[in-house]
Amino acid sequence: MREKRVNIFSTIVAVLVMLFLIAPLVVIVIASFTPTAVVVFPPKGFSLKWYENIFSSSTHFMEGLANSLKIGLLATLLDILLGVTAALSVCRHDFKGKNALLNYFTSPMYVPSVAFAFVLLQVYSQIGGVPGALRIFIGHFIIILPYIVRNTVSVLHVFNWTLEDAATSLGANPVQVFFKITIPVARPGIVAGALLAFLYSFDEVALSSLLSTPKFITLPIRIMNYMELTFDPTLAAISTFLIAGSLVLIVLMDKFVGLDMFVK
Amino acid sequence: MRKKQAFLLALPAVLALTVFFLIPMLYILIKTLVANGLSDFIRFFTDPFYLDILWTTVRVSLVSTLVSLLLGYPTAYYMARTQSRMKKVMMVIILFPFLVSAVVRSYGWMVILGKNGLLNQLLLGLGLIQKPLSILNTETAVIIGMIHLLIPYMILSLVGVLQSIDPNVEYAAYSLGAGPAETFCKVIFPLSLPGIISGCVMVFTMSMTSYVTPKLLGGSKFRMMATMVVQEINVSFDWGAASAISYILLAVILLIQVLVVLSTAGTMKRLGGGKNA
Repeated sequence: MREKRVNIFSTIVAVLVMLFLIAPLVVIVIASFTPTAVVVFPPKGFSLKWYENIFSSSTHFMEGLANSLKIGLLATLLDILLGVTAALSVCRHDFKGKNALLNYFTSPMYVPSVAFAFVLLQVYSQIGGVPGALRIFIGHFIIILPYIVRNTVSVLHVFNWTLEDAATSLGANPVQVFFKITIPVARPGIVAGALLAFLYSFDEVALSSLLSTPKFITLPIRIMNYMELTFDPTLAAISTFLIAGSLVLIVLMDKFVGLDMFVK
Repeated sequence: MRKKQAFLLALPAVLALTVFFLIPMLYILIKTLVANGLSDFIRFFTDPFYLDILWTTVRVSLVSTLVSLLLGYPTAYYMARTQSRMKKVMMVIILFPFLVSAVVRSYGWMVILGKNGLLNQLLLGLGLIQKPLSILNTETAVIIGMIHLLIPYMILSLVGVLQSIDPNVEYAAYSLGAGPAETFCKVIFPLSLPGIISGCVMVFTMSMTSYVTPKLLGGSKFRMMATMVVQEINVSFDWGAASAISYILLAVILLIQVLVVLSTAGTMKRLGGGKNA
């Protein structure tokens, strides 16, 4: 009886929090289909004209999307190489300064991205002539590295390394051991880390807004620039487009790594 | 042989971080100090304008953290204890906004909280108010957006800890005559402390360094540390001030991390182990 009282209270709060979390997203999706420039509820009619806008060249949204995807994918791929080797170095071997090294690998997490962006901006302005894509790429591949290292480490942490020795004693060469034993075991951590890293890069604003050049602008910056000039449901349309993308990602994540990996 | 292997594995990441991260961070810090001495830092701590920005940033972060904890704790408790399929649904709802860009989420709040926004349309339509409320471009709007952005982190770090507390521990407390309040204060709360600390630290630091939410929901007159850095660079062209603010923000974040490491070490010892650390 007593527990029930606790549960009713937490149930009510939980439901309210869920409504709070979902409300802005629902509003955005409905707003994207309204025919009027000012969003009114309930919507007066139905229209897809704002979706036409996001594909038209005047908004540069598709160009921004291509830029964001390029930076995000390249930075994630490079960091899978750097991050997995880094994670292996601190997990497989026992040596003095191991924890310090792990802290070094994850240190970009503790630096406010706006501070790091400003440091890079000053360095670039001293060097001169660094192209826009590279300016943003360098910033992104550094700040997302900790996600891959940490998630890979959290899996390798509990890995029984004698499995590698067993494989070796059964005649596997080091390359086979690596690709047939170590990588498959580490895979959930690598996949989860890579997903989080990619998302961070794809949504990143502070760094990109300071480092982008007029020739190379990522999607979130395009959306923010558009917002400053016009506040119409084109923004709702591009937002709905991105929300749909996240939905696909959640389904994929649930299928391949399971959503429980986020509960730490 | 093994030592050499570890060294080779660590090398690429160490090189990349040193060249593109550590050296630039130190180089610009030294350059700022050599060029202007401590004057930019002294100006920050003596000018009420800058101190007010620091205080606003701390205040917004504290309120956001506190509300996230108060709302997140019962939510996480429900998720940790429920047997129903609701748990999966809730997990998706929590992760969903977590995967949607901060720009998109702030935009949603702009549509809701704006002068012609949904909230005002609703309240005016119901006759509860006579003229529209101005919530957008205030600190309240920033705090609402911040909680929306960060409460998932709080809930996720609490669910993990609460799940690992055996429900039998609670039943034991009840059967020994403790009421719900006493059980919570003396059993559940202390056991969940590691999750509370890690959740609060995460939310507080992310809020301290946030840029998008204060920029979009706070309007042009509302300033927090991160938006001020950008404003000093792009509007006032005062790179000395921007440097000082950047490094002060960094110092605050590092200080919090150090305090947490020191304090949780004590907590762990008291609670007998760091299973959930």
